[in-house]
Amino acid sequence: MSSSLASVDGLAAKPAQAASGTRLAVRRFLRNRLAVVGLGVVVFFVLFCFVGPLIYSTDQTHTLLQQVNQSPSGAHWLGTDAVGHDELGRLMYGGKVSLIVGLSAGVLATVIGTLWGAAAGYAGGWVDAVMMRVVDAGIAIPALFILLVVSAITTPDLTGLVLILGLISWLVPSRLVRAETLTLKNRDFVLTLRAIGGTHARAIIRHILPNSVSTIIVAATFQVADAILLVAYVSYLGLGVQPPSTDWGGMLSTGMTAAYSGYWWLIVPPGLAIILVVWAFNAIGDGLRDAFDVRGRA
Amino acid sequence: MSTYSFLIRRVLQALAVVLLVTVVVFCLLHALPGGPARGILGPQATASQITAFNHEQGLDKPLPVQYVYYLNQLIHGDLGMSYTLNEPVSQLITERLPKTLLLTVLSAVVGLLVAVPLGVWQAVRRNKPVDYVITTLSFIAYSTPVYFLGLILVLVFSQVLPWFPAQAPQGNSVLAVLSQPQGLVLPVVAGAATMVAVFSRYMRSATLENLTEDYVRTARAGGSRPRAILTRHVFRNSLTPVVAMLGYYVPVLFGGALVVEQLFNYPGMGLLFWTAAQSSDYPVLLGCVLVISIATVTGTLLADVLQRVIDPRVKAGRS
Amino acid sequence: MSAVRRPAADTLGGHILDLDDLGVVFTTETGPVQAVRGVSLHVAPGETLALVGESGSGKSTVALAAMGLLSGNARATGRAVVDGTDIVGADEERLSGLRGSTVSMVFQEPATALDPLTRVGKQIAEVIRNHRRVSAADAAERAVELLRRVGIPEPEQRARAYPFQLSGGQRQRVVIAMAIANEPALLIADEPTTALDVTVQAEILDLLRRLAEETGTGVLLVTHNMGVVADFADRVAVMYQGAIVETGPVEDVLLRPSHDYTKRLLSAVPRLSVAEAGGTARADERADGPGADAPGAAPAGQPAVELTDVSVVFGRGKQAVHALKGVSFAVHPGETLGLVGESGSGKSTASRVALGLIAPTAGSVTLFGADLARTRARARRALRAGIGVVLQDPVASLDARMTVGECVAEPLRIHRGRLSGRERESLVAAVLDRVRLPREVARRTPRELSGGQRQRVSLARALVLEPRLLVADEPTSALDVSVQEAVLEVIRELQEELGFACLFVSHDLAVVQQFARRVVVMRAGRAEEQGLTSATLLHPETDYTRRLLAAVPVPDPVVQRGRRAERLATLAAGRTEEQG
Repeated sequence: MSSSLASVDGLAAKPAQAASGTRLAVRRFLRNRLAVVGLGVVVFFVLFCFVGPLIYSTDQTHTLLQQVNQSPSGAHWLGTDAVGHDELGRLMYGGKVSLIVGLSAGVLATVIGTLWGAAAGYAGGWVDAVMMRVVDAGIAIPALFILLVVSAITTPDLTGLVLILGLISWLVPSRLVRAETLTLKNRDFVLTLRAIGGTHARAIIRHILPNSVSTIIVAATFQVADAILLVAYVSYLGLGVQPPSTDWGGMLSTGMTAAYSGYWWLIVPPGLAIILVVWAFNAIGDGLRDAFDVRGRA
Repeated sequence: MSTYSFLIRRVLQALAVVLLVTVVVFCLLHALPGGPARGILGPQATASQITAFNHEQGLDKPLPVQYVYYLNQLIHGDLGMSYTLNEPVSQLITERLPKTLLLTVLSAVVGLLVAVPLGVWQAVRRNKPVDYVITTLSFIAYSTPVYFLGLILVLVFSQVLPWFPAQAPQGNSVLAVLSQPQGLVLPVVAGAATMVAVFSRYMRSATLENLTEDYVRTARAGGSRPRAILTRHVFRNSLTPVVAMLGYYVPVLFGGALVVEQLFNYPGMGLLFWTAAQSSDYPVLLGCVLVISIATVTGTLLADVLQRVIDPRVKAGRS
Repeated sequence: MSAVRRPAADTLGGHILDLDDLGVVFTTETGPVQAVRGVSLHVAPGETLALVGESGSGKSTVALAAMGLLSGNARATGRAVVDGTDIVGADEERLSGLRGSTVSMVFQEPATALDPLTRVGKQIAEVIRNHRRVSAADAAERAVELLRRVGIPEPEQRARAYPFQLSGGQRQRVVIAMAIANEPALLIADEPTTALDVTVQAEILDLLRRLAEETGTGVLLVTHNMGVVADFADRVAVMYQGAIVETGPVEDVLLRPSHDYTKRLLSAVPRLSVAEAGGTARADERADGPGADAPGAAPAGQPAVELTDVSVVFGRGKQAVHALKGVSFAVHPGETLGLVGESGSGKSTASRVALGLIAPTAGSVTLFGADLARTRARARRALRAGIGVVLQDPVASLDARMTVGECVAEPLRIHRGRLSGRERESLVAAVLDRVRLPREVARRTPRELSGGQRQRVSLARALVLEPRLLVADEPTSALDVSVQEAVLEVIRELQEELGFACLFVSHDLAVVQQFARRVVVMRAGRAEEQGLTSATLLHPETDYTRRLLAAVPVPDPVVQRGRRAERLATLAAGRTEEQG
């Protein structure tokens, strides 16, 4: 209401104590312990997958039949798999693919979603209505079903995989960004700009997008988490990268049959890796949302 | 807005969405190697057979014309024939859909029954150890691929502790499935886990938000006890947005059913879909996508109607 | 704490509320904040004590502390005794027993004070059943009775309504019904009419006064509005920066303030000049004279903006809202036109039509002589270089991601693209001087500034192109009176200097009276009447304007008493007329 501000009592922000926005956000983020742990986990896995192979080098291309399905030992810390690859080395090797595909697909989905949502929200009217029905239609087809249909038609390469994952997961971020754009375009500073003759382009580029950044970053973080998870499903659905290359999801699904034979070291490490990384990105997203004070996904 | 015009509007919207889905499926059909002709004649058909068929069926006509043909077929319930099972797709789906619905509805109900109290509990004990533990657990549950979770459930509760069967109940009817409830336990738990994770988070934040609302202060100023405020006011107000989220969650539920059915060999649509994918049985695949999408749209519609029932403001056309 | 005067009869026994050295500290992200310190006051049965102050003075915190309703990050010290029980340190069970029965509260925001999903009758019944062993049916019956008592028509039906089905004033009546349900000895009202229109405010104040008189309830009234104080209070305590600076009977404090802060506060309050009001004095003439003599001579030449027979319809069919119906007015160079009206009257819509943000459904808008509907987009943008805008919300008006300098420079970037960075900087510095802000603020971000400073930044942005038209939509209604005075002062001076036309939208009749040469009174989408402020707001031609003016409380208890009696008499006469 009009005058509620006049009587915000007791705690009205005094100019002197208002810390800068970024510093406050960082402090809020650091106070969320789960988010900080999540950040640590992500840093660990990035080092593990990209720096790890330099220190702990293993042969991941040749089949070594003399050392298949060995349990963890001094020589192979996490044992070996059905074709004799060192499991720890494979975890690094597969992690690279999982992380790269997950990050790229998550970012791609966020970019598509941002453009679509911002356009729909800013245009409004029937354009918005049509664009959002398209999003509804996309959401109505469960992602796993589309992926399985695609897997029946073709086996994509890594770029293709990123494209497919990006193209099926931009819908949720587009909704979030649209909602944000709808509020922002009616904010007083945008109205003022329009009234004094500012262009639409200026309104979008200088005001609406910069002010949506926190929403977009938070959405992207959750999107990456979901994409990494989706990558894990993709191999299970038969769409994954082809051997000898692999990813965590691929390791997990090939290890599943072995699990019944008691080869636990073939499923527990990749399973834990997926859970930890996805968990970490979710925790970071949660922390960022608190830090930026963004509403949205719970 | 009256209930009547609301329903009409909402159903029209849903129809528009379904129509868009048919466009997507139609495009997929034409993206297939060999196009729809191979879809109907089967993988063994020769090139000349395909050309002849295309001409006969008007498949050499412009795409928009073909789309109208396709729609016409759909309206008559014709989804084509399965290559491998040699049965009409519509019949296959009619047989299996109820069982999938049973699984998803059970998972959703169990999921909500666990998630809602959990979320409220977390909100009340905000930033206490309980809250952190449940938050961590629900993030973990959310982060676990359903097939991995299912595998662990089977290993623990079927192999190590022989409490439940590793395979879901078989049978052609819903009743047959229901007659072996112990076989449903693990599939339902696997299907409900993600839902518990997601909805306990929703419920937690909705409750937290409502606890800071002015009406809570008004109720306290009137002498209402904290517990009464929680049960009489905050709970209902927090549940409303959560019900709205339910609509968005329907596709995820069906996606989960796909994996769970495959994992536990549950004879529903997910399993049908899965086997069809292995054998490139396109008519079945596309038929299932269409039906699942319609089920999703219907589920979303029901969630909207439900929200309207419990929130008088939505009924009045405000929110 | 220099001028605390306490009545001799300050004995603990007779008071329903006794605050003794009350202090409240909030733990915040940036460290502890002492919001209230050393507050001592009391309320006797049947009397009304007004606790006044500007935002941040701690007055609402005192009210919440007296209810034991402080938020979790607050810690209270000292004593707050309600009917013999010290609230500070009492447990929740004890407090629940007191709240709603011995002491109850009315809040500022009726839009959010009620549970949106519970029928209002049930919410009232809940308060009754919290404290009395009565059946649900009896409580429901009593709730209907209470609704009748607080003046809700058709209470049997209304008891079954949800809050969203009631108007703001009716919702506030429901909150009051809840507050008086168990006949409390003390009623705490925290800005009970701030969110309401002035006519509704008058009704709610009448209701509260009547209820307090009927039951001998003591009232602690928290408000920033001196008119409300004059209308309602027996005694006044003035708060400043968490402490009480002056206490005394209402006539003393409002007419003969002793503390410097109170004097400054009162002199900043815009006063409605009243023509007759039982013959009593006009409000004090201010040094710079009332707005009737404001800068700008009689309208001459081409108007800066002119609306002719403008209608605006939102939506279509049955749900169509007619926001404006055939509104015409013009603003001429050098003059200020005040647009006044209650919420929903269409005044903001009219200002947005003038800005070209909303296209009229019918009628025409002429900006600097050019018909907006017939100008091409490019030409229209060029025309807009001549407009400056200041909107209400000091937070939402500035993009928080830009520095103040960038905010102010934005119009230059739009319309004077060829300027060099240095030229831009010097223009920004010059306009900051004009609005009396130090040049250094250009490097700060808006969130580091106070509300008043932010509105001056908005003003600087509006004036940096030296516009021919300034549109100000409630530019000061989110500000404290002392800040409001300073901002209005700056606008007035710059108008004199630059000679722009000003369209000034406000709900505050007193401000418009001081500030605008001419006025348009809006009601339900129509221009009810318009004319020179000096004539229209002193001798209105329509009943509506007369009612509006009569409802404005003036910050003089003696004058206000007369005005109230007169208003009630008119109302009573009107009612009998209607019935007859």
